[in-house]
Amino acid sequence: MPAPLDETVPLGLASTTPRQGRSKIRPGLLLQTVIAGTVLTGMLTTLCAAYGASEKASKGLASPESFSSISGVKQRSAALFTELGKVLTHPRCVNCHPVGDRPRQGDFGRLHQPPVERGADGFGLPAMRCPICHQRANFEPARMPGRPQWHLAPREMGWEGKTLGEICAQLKDPERNGGRGLDDLVHHIGRDTLVGWAWAPGFGREPAPGTQELAGALAEAWIKIGAACP
Amino acid sequence: MTSLTLTINGRTHGPVEVRDELTMNDFLREYLGMTGTKFGCGAAQCLSCAVIVDNPDGASYTQPTCVVPAISFNGKAIRTVEGHAKDGELTLLQKSFIEHFAFQCGYCTPGFLNEAQVLLERLAKQPVARSDLEKTIAQALDGHLCRCTGYVKYHEAVRAVILADPQHYLI
Repeated sequence: MPAPLDETVPLGLASTTPRQGRSKIRPGLLLQTVIAGTVLTGMLTTLCAAYGASEKASKGLASPESFSSISGVKQRSAALFTELGKVLTHPRCVNCHPVGDRPRQGDFGRLHQPPVERGADGFGLPAMRCPICHQRANFEPARMPGRPQWHLAPREMGWEGKTLGEICAQLKDPERNGGRGLDDLVHHIGRDTLVGWAWAPGFGREPAPGTQELAGALAEAWIKIGAACP
Repeated sequence: MTSLTLTINGRTHGPVEVRDELTMNDFLREYLGMTGTKFGCGAAQCLSCAVIVDNPDGASYTQPTCVVPAISFNGKAIRTVEGHAKDGELTLLQKSFIEHFAFQCGYCTPGFLNEAQVLLERLAKQPVARSDLEKTIAQALDGHLCRCTGYVKYHEAVRAVILADPQHYLI
């Protein structure tokens, strides 16, 4: 038999006792109420607008078709990768593809606080595993991002600070891309659920450009015509 | 609203309907009145809010409560600072904290205590060499913040418990 919960009302949530016996409303009081209501409405509107503005908008990403005017196949492929590079070099991706053992966070890529490290499997040290805080979904009351399998990309897949050309060469190298073939890359970029978090990062974080589907389409188009590097 | 049932310090709580956005820290402190678990930074950076989660497989780990929803603890068993002492008798670890004057204001102590307890239990199952002990303690307590800067004393207090029973914790 489960033990009963303490029914203590949390502070600030206790109900107030309504005043009894009031039958007349003074005009002055009514005016004050209207003014107060107007001011409160204005404040709420401002706050809501500020909240909305803080939910950052995604920047655009061109579609693969928009590169069809580039006649040279190699140049077109490289251009497709350059467009895809807007995603790959975005903080939402780079923060978890660091070259060191510590992830970064935020739109400015500051070192992760608390000072976690990748650990043996990329999921953190025994005392500080990633999924302990980063759970199955974003938890907005605490601004905590979350998706299943939250972890760092393997060390060899770090591309923080690298040029697009270097990242491109790295992505095609199974030794440095998690043992993936090129088709696997399309799936990883276009469908992986953890990667997909980059487009739904929650309050205060800029989403990766475009959509995950568009990024996957760019990767597919890039590979289809030769996977050239810029 | 989601139904929540969990075990805290061996006692079942719930089922109770809670808001999905209610943090575990608020559930412990405001619903249950268990204020031993602290609310510090609110961003999982100080870990004063950490509790022990006991997995069914016997493994235990600490988890901050300020950044995770209460409903994520549904069906779980946890321990808080209130659950360490038995019948008013402090554990060896708690006594060592006091003997080493490990804390001053004490706000971070529940987190350090839970973390150190998990470490002791882990070492009892997987002892380490004496030469690795300092690093092991440092890694375990890493991340817990103490504004009174009691880090060294916390470290020494944990070390003292381990060295007092080396056959239990060391190879």
